Amino acid sequence: MSIQKNKKGAEKILSVYWFAILLIVAGAIVYLVSSFYGKPYDVREMEARLLTDKIANCLSAGGNIKENWQGLNADNFLEECRLVFTVEDSYGWDDDQYYAEIKISDFDSGQSLNEVNAGNPNLKLDCAVDDKNFPLCLERSMYSIDKAGKQYKISIFAAVRKTEKNVQ
Amino acid sequence: MMLLKKMRNKKGTILTENIIFIVLNLAFIVILMLFLFSKTGSAPVLEEKYAKQIALLIDAAEPVMTIDIEMEDAIKIAQRENMNLNEVITINGNIVTAKLRPDGKGYSYSFFNDVGAKANFDTENRNKYYVVLSPK
Repeated sequence: MSIQKNKKGAEKILSVYWFAILLIVAGAIVYLVSSFYGKPYDVREMEARLLTDKIANCLSAGGNIKENWQGLNADNFLEECRLVFTVEDSYGWDDDQYYAEIKISDFDSGQSLNEVNAGNPNLKLDCAVDDKNFPLCLERSMYSIDKAGKQYKISIFAAVRKTEKNVQ
Repeated sequence: MMLLKKMRNKKGTILTENIIFIVLNLAFIVILMLFLFSKTGSAPVLEEKYAKQIALLIDAAEPVMTIDIEMEDAIKIAQRENMNLNEVITINGNIVTAKLRPDGKGYSYSFFNDVGAKANFDTENRNKYYVVLSPK
């Protein structure tokens, strides 16, 4: 008789523990899901990649460098490459969330022939910091030739900030 | 006879306890699932997802292209919230805005590709949007 009573008591204690475990599991799931879906999607790397791709397509087509590349400068670069760096009016952004820089140099000697940049140059200074709260920077380079067969190295640097909308 | 009655009562109690235990467990699982579905498919999450997705698609595209976007989940929410389905996705200049609730602000994200873009609701399928790009 006494054994049966103890068994019943033990079962009750077990079910209390069981619910305690369930509550802990539920709490952990709620916390993890909330923290995962509470954070914004970080698309800056994709954006920087697309920006460098677009600039590369603008400067070189089929391996041949753009004909009027010597005439590229800070004033006409965005227009020539069909880019627009204006952004939505939020978080006090002032069209300063992008930066792009190109450097065209002689492939053999390494001598710089043309350097152009557009956007917010301060973003480049923050690139040294490897932290998600700083701008995302990407540097890529490619090889191209002109009609005469002269070889060029084109380096493209892109930085995207937009931290408030991509990182929390 | 008396002993038999006692035993019957005892068995009944055990069964009831088990049923309550199972029902509570099931209720726990159902509440958890509801929470997960409400979080993953909520309007703010979908607004952000579609605004960013469309902005990136426009960045990767060229003028005269048309981009089809399947948005069944977002359109269901917009219908439930009595939102005008033609205004779920709007593109103003180079800023994409996704809005699933009439009283909400929506979510905006910019693209850097200097093209003309217009978002249209697919009135035939009623679960898609298509974005038409044109040179500026």
